[in-house]
Amino acid sequence: MSPAPSVTASAAPVRAAPDPARRQAIGRGLFWAATALFLAAVLVQGLYSAGLTQVGFANWRPVLYAYVIWSVAVCASQVLRHGQRGQRALFVLPAFLFTLAVVVFPTVFGLFIAFSDWNLSSFTGRQFNGIDNFVAMLNDPYYWNAMGNMVIYVLAVLVQYAIAFGLALLLNAEIRARKFFRVAFLLPFMLSPVAVSWMIGKSLMEYRFGPLAQLARFLGWDSPAFFATPWIARASIIALDSWVSIPFIMILLLAGLQAMPKDIMEAARIDGATGWQAFWKITFPLMLPVSVTAIVLRIIFQLKLADIVINTTAGGPGGATDTVTSFIYREYRDRSNVGYGTMLAEFYFVLIVIFLTVLLALINRWMKRFPTT
Amino acid sequence: MAKWSNDRLDILSVDRRRLLQGAAGFGMALGMGGGLAALSRTAVAQEGIRAQILQIPGVGAGSPGDADWQQVGELCLGATKQNVQEGEFAGVELTFMGLNNQNLHNLLFRGFLKPWETYTGAKITWIDLAQADYNPRLQQAIATGTVDFDILEMGAPFEGDVCGKGLASEMPDWVKAQIDMDDYVDYLKAPVGTWDGKTYRISIDGDCHNFNYRTDVFSDPELAEAWKAEGGEGEWGVPKTWQQVKAATKFLKGKQVAGQDAYGYLDPLKPWGGFGFYFLASRATAYAKHPDDKAWLFDIDTMKPRINNSAWVRTIQDVVDSLPYQPADQLNADPNTTGFQQFLFGTGSMISWWGDIGSNARTSDSSVIGEVCGFDILPGSDDVYNNKTGQWDKLPSGPNYAPNMAYIGWGIYVMARVDSDSKKHKAAWSAAAHLGGKDLSLWTSAYPSGFQPYRKSHFNIQEWTEAGYDEAFISGYLASQSNSYNHPNAAIEPRIPGIFQYYSVAEDELAKVFAGQVDAQTGADNIAAAWEKITDSIGREQQIKLYKASLGL
Repeated sequence: MSPAPSVTASAAPVRAAPDPARRQAIGRGLFWAATALFLAAVLVQGLYSAGLTQVGFANWRPVLYAYVIWSVAVCASQVLRHGQRGQRALFVLPAFLFTLAVVVFPTVFGLFIAFSDWNLSSFTGRQFNGIDNFVAMLNDPYYWNAMGNMVIYVLAVLVQYAIAFGLALLLNAEIRARKFFRVAFLLPFMLSPVAVSWMIGKSLMEYRFGPLAQLARFLGWDSPAFFATPWIARASIIALDSWVSIPFIMILLLAGLQAMPKDIMEAARIDGATGWQAFWKITFPLMLPVSVTAIVLRIIFQLKLADIVINTTAGGPGGATDTVTSFIYREYRDRSNVGYGTMLAEFYFVLIVIFLTVLLALINRWMKRFPTT
Repeated sequence: MAKWSNDRLDILSVDRRRLLQGAAGFGMALGMGGGLAALSRTAVAQEGIRAQILQIPGVGAGSPGDADWQQVGELCLGATKQNVQEGEFAGVELTFMGLNNQNLHNLLFRGFLKPWETYTGAKITWIDLAQADYNPRLQQAIATGTVDFDILEMGAPFEGDVCGKGLASEMPDWVKAQIDMDDYVDYLKAPVGTWDGKTYRISIDGDCHNFNYRTDVFSDPELAEAWKAEGGEGEWGVPKTWQQVKAATKFLKGKQVAGQDAYGYLDPLKPWGGFGFYFLASRATAYAKHPDDKAWLFDIDTMKPRINNSAWVRTIQDVVDSLPYQPADQLNADPNTTGFQQFLFGTGSMISWWGDIGSNARTSDSSVIGEVCGFDILPGSDDVYNNKTGQWDKLPSGPNYAPNMAYIGWGIYVMARVDSDSKKHKAAWSAAAHLGGKDLSLWTSAYPSGFQPYRKSHFNIQEWTEAGYDEAFISGYLASQSNSYNHPNAAIEPRIPGIFQYYSVAEDELAKVFAGQVDAQTGADNIAAAWEKITDSIGREQQIKLYKASLGL
């Protein structure tokens, strides 16, 4: 065995840092080369797909690879051109480029599809059809029926919030087995809504042998059909959804309650405030920021409600439990109506953005009335 | 009907005997004593295998599992060995796309093909799909040019999408001989499975809806007495027409049989990815399928929907009228619920379904009606709508019967993408032929598999009774199938692209009718309008052309 060579700092060769101007030039060159490569790939494949040239790839995958190369080149060129500032940009840039690829691009490309007649069974493929899909959507009673149901489902979030607040207060109090209950109450949130719809909607609530149906019979309900009449079906769907979702609101509120300064509550108690007064005058206003966050997040989730409905009622009876997403699912998946389905989805997306923007503005204005917040 | 069924079975049995006699005579004529002996040995060995596989696991021995499927696959490997050398497909990798409904279909195929993989050296990768995912997955693969499977389990209604677009591989002659296509029941022969004269499909199923009923309910003396007392028409017995089904359903509401609430006919009313429409169609065919007219869903020359004619509106109204007499949760019952959670569990006394009810009644662990389940072809109607004249006709021969050949059965298709590789091509067709083999198919028609009898050789009662089936039970079951398949007025659905789009839209509109939001005529008009839009969207001229091609016109 030969002895290990000894290395000293003085013996190591010192590499001179590249000239900043040269480094910037390399960065610029890298960026433009990668950009040229990416644009060339898009152009070649675009012309080939449009049938204007005979040269192209079998699919769009090489364009994706070109995008990945371009993204890496953009990041590298930032470092080369801007040094430390470019390195700082790397904290955000990859995430931004990823979002651009998987969120922004599909959304914009979706608009392109939304204005076309694209039935997957059609022999002619995708055809641009202007605003036909939009006009059809305005006159589609199923879509607007589902939209009406969404109002009910969104309003149900307020009920879920009230229940979740009660549970959070309970779990924040000094009760026995508090840790156990915290975990136990979280369990439904850990379950997939699909599993819940099968385990509860199609098993526990099953008309013939379901334990909940048996219990309902025992309590005097002769025909405990949970999904056969519009309002009972809606209420059942909301109950299933609430079972999954309330723990989510509850855990956010619980975190808020635990972060609340204890001295304020103690001061209120010393001043003789009742529990009810302490809640309305102190706890509730202090919890408003957390509450608003929880409610807005829940509304966003709620507007995408579909899995429980698809599994349990398929939107019935007569569309009473249909949601916009479950309707789009049918339009797209069962009917292969890609163009129209995409129009419905894009329009719904725009509506959600507008609705949430207005909602947040109103909430901000309302919260200013509470000086404690 | 029952008499005709027994006659038909006799005819089928005679055909089979004649076939064997003919084979023996052919051998003798050639003076090939040794050849005849070999032929006889093969026939005896084949009969031995058929008897042997029917004992796996045995009728009444519970639901079969993977070990049983593998054993059946191993025993049925003889036909493959005649065309393929051991290890011939070493290194070949195939992808198979199919269903996993009720833990059947692909799960069985895996077991059946395991010995085939061991023998040939090929390897199969599986794509399992739920029923509702099947159509969109297939359509997306076709439309986006991303067919990523070599072998496909597919129903005939999708042939327009696949074969009509040149995506399937044409069946080689050696496969036709291996699977004995002549043995298919007549309605599964060309034009089904063919496009432009080329054969693409190996049938593994022979779908039709039959009528399943409870023998104990319709022979109950107390109910017979009550029927008379309440002024019921004729004797209390199994309904033969939809008019009688309606009357029996109303009568049974509030009655009890064996201490349980009795119900009459069960309609599956919850949408089921388009497949629920078949159940309305089964009620409609007797009204809408006139013996003088091949078409019953669309006009052949124009694709104009008939869904809003008097026959269909009457059908829809029948369902609406029956709703108050069905279980309270019926609006939320899909076909699976109706067949497997209601009827096999003892709720309801009449149901239309595919042959699965019969093959599960005595072999599934969850069935409680194995001893009291009877079968027939779908009920008829005292009158039938003539779409050409716009009149209701009373036929001189009596009620009009028109069994619904719902879905025309599952088949195995090989995709055209294997055509460029001769080894892969042969391997794919060999795997498909193994699944569509004559002996193996006997087992799938006798046990829970998702498939029902579809070959003439499946109607040999003796094989079934030797396997442990009660003769009366199995005779009735097989008669309901063969009489449906061979019925001169059978209703065969159009094999056109996007057929499930039509069905899916109809389900949505029907849900509104059944929930009482719109009347039957308005609902039917809405469906017709939506169907016209779909036809225009897919391409009317193309649809008409394919519709005619699918009918062999």
